[in-house]
Amino acid sequence: MNLRVETHRPREGVAVISLGGEVDVYTSPRVKQEVVDLLSNGTHKLVVDLSGVEYLDSTGLGVLIGGLKRAREREGDLKLVCDNLRIHRIFEITGLTKIFDIHRTEGEALDKL
Amino acid sequence: MSETKPLAEVELRIPSRPEYVGVARLAILGVASRMRFSYDEVEDIRLAVGEACTRSIDRLNGAADGQTIHLRCLIDANRLTIEVRNALTEAPPREAPPDILNPEAELGGVLIRILMDEVHTEDRPEEGVHLMRMVKYVAR
Repeated sequence: MNLRVETHRPREGVAVISLGGEVDVYTSPRVKQEVVDLLSNGTHKLVVDLSGVEYLDSTGLGVLIGGLKRAREREGDLKLVCDNLRIHRIFEITGLTKIFDIHRTEGEALDKL
Repeated sequence: MSETKPLAEVELRIPSRPEYVGVARLAILGVASRMRFSYDEVEDIRLAVGEACTRSIDRLNGAADGQTIHLRCLIDANRLTIEVRNALTEAPPREAPPDILNPEAELGGVLIRILMDEVHTEDRPEEGVHLMRMVKYVAR
């Protein structure tokens, strides 16, 4: 599976999920599981770092949308980090820049949580 | 479809399973890279083909075992035409839900239509046929 998922907790109640490789119809269930597990365990403020993502499709977008919805239902939030123009363009052409807060660095995203 | 015989044709048949969509993407990357497309256009085509394959798997609605997806690339001097077709070998699947009920499928359709210059779909569920034909023109 060409997907890397690494999670760290910079502070209480906050987790950063760093993704690398390809987030597609095959690998996105693994990302969904990570998001659902964190939210179920009481971590409602999430940063998903897409800096290492080389490919993102609609199933990956669907997982992120679902994560944002679930986080907000729990009075949390989900912010994105993306410094890759190609990946950022996918959010732009689908209109998802209107619903996601997308930051250039992890530090910037954490400051906004 | 091309009205004249294409300069070249590449065909690929993959199992209708998520783990093989990446194989289709790699193949189309190779085909599109041999044409006069920009880097961004090649990436657009790769994403569109991945989405079309995902849609094809979705259309089987869980009945993917033993089924295949047939990709056909028609290479012309000024355009690339890609057909993605479910090639059902067994009984037709249960009726797939409309895309509108599946936000991910809807997003995939939106992406394909934005990324490609022409998109045609042909669904004949009674025959188990779901076909998507996409065209990308080489910029002049």
